[in-house]
Amino acid sequence: MKAGRYALIVTVLIAVSAVIVSCGRQQPTSSLEVACFKGGYGIDFFEQAAREYEKLHPGVKIKVWGNPRVWEQLRPRFVAGNPPDLTYPGWGMDHWALVYEGQVIPLDEYLDSPPYGKSEGKWRDTFEPSLLALCQYQGKTYMLPYFFSMLGWWYNKDMFEKNGWKPPRTWSELLALCEKIKAKGIAPITYQGIYPAYAVSGFLIPWAISAGGIEAFDNAQNLVPGAWKSPAFLKAAQMIDELRRRGYFQEGANGMDHTGAQMEFISGRAAMIPCGTWLHSEMRNVLPPNFRMGFMLPPVLDDGKGDPTAVGIGIEPWMVPTKGKNRELAIDFYKYMTSLEKAKQFVEQKGTLMSIRGSDQANYPEHLKEPVEVFRRAKTVWSVEYRQWYPKLGKEVEDATAALLAGNITPEQFVERLERAAEATRQDKNIPKHTYTRGKDR
Amino acid sequence: MTPRARAGFITLFLLPASALYALFVVIPVVQAFAFSLYRWRGISANRTFIGLENFQQLFNDPLVWRALSHNLLLFVGTSVVILTVSLALAHAVGAESALARFLRSVYLFPQVISLVVVAILWMFILNPSFGILNATLKAVGLKEWAITWLGNPYTALASIGVAHVWHALGFYIMLFAAALRTIPTDVMEAATLDGATGLVRLRYVTLPLLWAVLRIALVYMAIGTMNIFSLVFLMTQGGPDRATEVMLTYLYEQAFKHSEFGYATALAVVNFVLVMALSGAILTLFRHNPQEGRG
Repeated sequence: MKAGRYALIVTVLIAVSAVIVSCGRQQPTSSLEVACFKGGYGIDFFEQAAREYEKLHPGVKIKVWGNPRVWEQLRPRFVAGNPPDLTYPGWGMDHWALVYEGQVIPLDEYLDSPPYGKSEGKWRDTFEPSLLALCQYQGKTYMLPYFFSMLGWWYNKDMFEKNGWKPPRTWSELLALCEKIKAKGIAPITYQGIYPAYAVSGFLIPWAISAGGIEAFDNAQNLVPGAWKSPAFLKAAQMIDELRRRGYFQEGANGMDHTGAQMEFISGRAAMIPCGTWLHSEMRNVLPPNFRMGFMLPPVLDDGKGDPTAVGIGIEPWMVPTKGKNRELAIDFYKYMTSLEKAKQFVEQKGTLMSIRGSDQANYPEHLKEPVEVFRRAKTVWSVEYRQWYPKLGKEVEDATAALLAGNITPEQFVERLERAAEATRQDKNIPKHTYTRGKDR
Repeated sequence: MTPRARAGFITLFLLPASALYALFVVIPVVQAFAFSLYRWRGISANRTFIGLENFQQLFNDPLVWRALSHNLLLFVGTSVVILTVSLALAHAVGAESALARFLRSVYLFPQVISLVVVAILWMFILNPSFGILNATLKAVGLKEWAITWLGNPYTALASIGVAHVWHALGFYIMLFAAALRTIPTDVMEAATLDGATGLVRLRYVTLPLLWAVLRIALVYMAIGTMNIFSLVFLMTQGGPDRATEVMLTYLYEQAFKHSEFGYATALAVVNFVLVMALSGAILTLFRHNPQEGRG
């Protein structure tokens, strides 16, 4: 009797512990830390995605955190060898330095595996190929895009309609229109002078591409000798100089920061402004009710060599740190975030374009309709990569552009300055070199 | 208490503060000296020892010299203005009148405003489109004077200097007003009875008696302008075309934008040495009160 009771107790104990062990096996608790830049689109979407993923995968705990200066907190974590598992460090992080230092892993093996929840196909094929191409170094993919921005010009729709003006598509149309706008006492074009990067991607590069074709820009980015002082760049500089001499830029724009210039635009004192597709969300708190802004590509040369549909884009990539503790889970969570369903949700909730193919079939807010059309039509896509690859060259191009816009140097001196900076970068053996190979763009 | 026990007692109380100071100030400074000898991207633990290469590069970097000249220009320009204006206002706030009472209640306002707010405020004032400065100039018929203050390489640095003076003035008024009160009234009365009034009294009586305070004020001004960062970073980003680049904005660019942490640390070391040298030079140059020992 006694022995039987003991046997029963032992059996029950074994059964219970077996159940506990098997439960543990079925649901191993694993945790993930995701550090994100908190910019204009916030981090609430990523937090929401984490909660959904936790529901789909019991036992997984995901901590999403972020702030507008997250890159400053991430630097010491990388140095200490204690980075998060997945990160979107934002524009302030020197992404390529992370790659050179082996702090982030190549992702090709994972890109060749199936997308989230699928058993076949390649995750790689779900991305816009032109955006994925921006994430490569020496043939390997180290970063992944999420949303992307398009660069172009915005115009004041109501002002244009009221005056019967049409968005100019060519250089001669632009000059004719600027004259009419100026006659009305309005500044035709304003720009964010304190941050000359806007003028570089809004004037200089599109016009160099228009004058010399996309090769002119690709060669410049690839540091081909003479490319930065090629006739294409000289022509672009002359165009900027001509607008300045004719007084088509807003007086004082070179002393304005981005908010200042953008306020000039939305208050109707300037008719056009170069800016990315983030403009609407950046200014949403100060936009007058019913303010309508239209998007267009920078007008191209009437007889330009370049593709008139070429469009500039920019990404803010995500990456998986080498010393993260849960690599596989980080990848799977990012696969979930880039599923078509989540991508469409991001487009609708945040009003920006996404790097996932087919996500443009979502319901866009009004101000994104024109950019989406421009992107669909684009046969060539370009991106300012040299600024991330070679920050010193990027800074010198921007400084020289500020000087050109202020009329302090001639277009000839301008291109000489750019070429000198490119030469210095070429000669500096401590700077790792990149090559952009243009595949089939779209 | 024996002197020995007293010393022990004092040491005991000094120890915690000294330990914290060593941990958070002395050790990082020493570390900075060490990091300046490396090529380091500041993003991993990998560092390459390169000896004095960073310093060699620094002395051959024209931008360092340009930035340094801007710091020194700011020091000379703003200290002259601050000294004259704050001395005058320190006199004014010491008087007994309605104006003095008003000045006493407002002069510290700019000092207590955050530098970020000061920068934004001055960007509004100097705004070429709707700023109050250009609006005023246009209203009084000086249309040609209404220029792009921050976008023009010839006026940008001076504009930052004005914002800096406006912010710093309150502190120096306070310093001088307090020092003026320490001058015994009988000395002033005696000087007045002897016929020394106005500028003569200022030169031969007031200034010599303020000498020690003036000397310290100059050192503060040197430190303030050598370490200027926020105003420049917010108002011009060092632009247009480097016209307002200063040592610390250049350091920030090297460290955080170019991932040249070793080079940036070398810049910090050089700036540290320069601030020390400048302060030392001021203290030495103004060691002797020229009025002392006169017959």
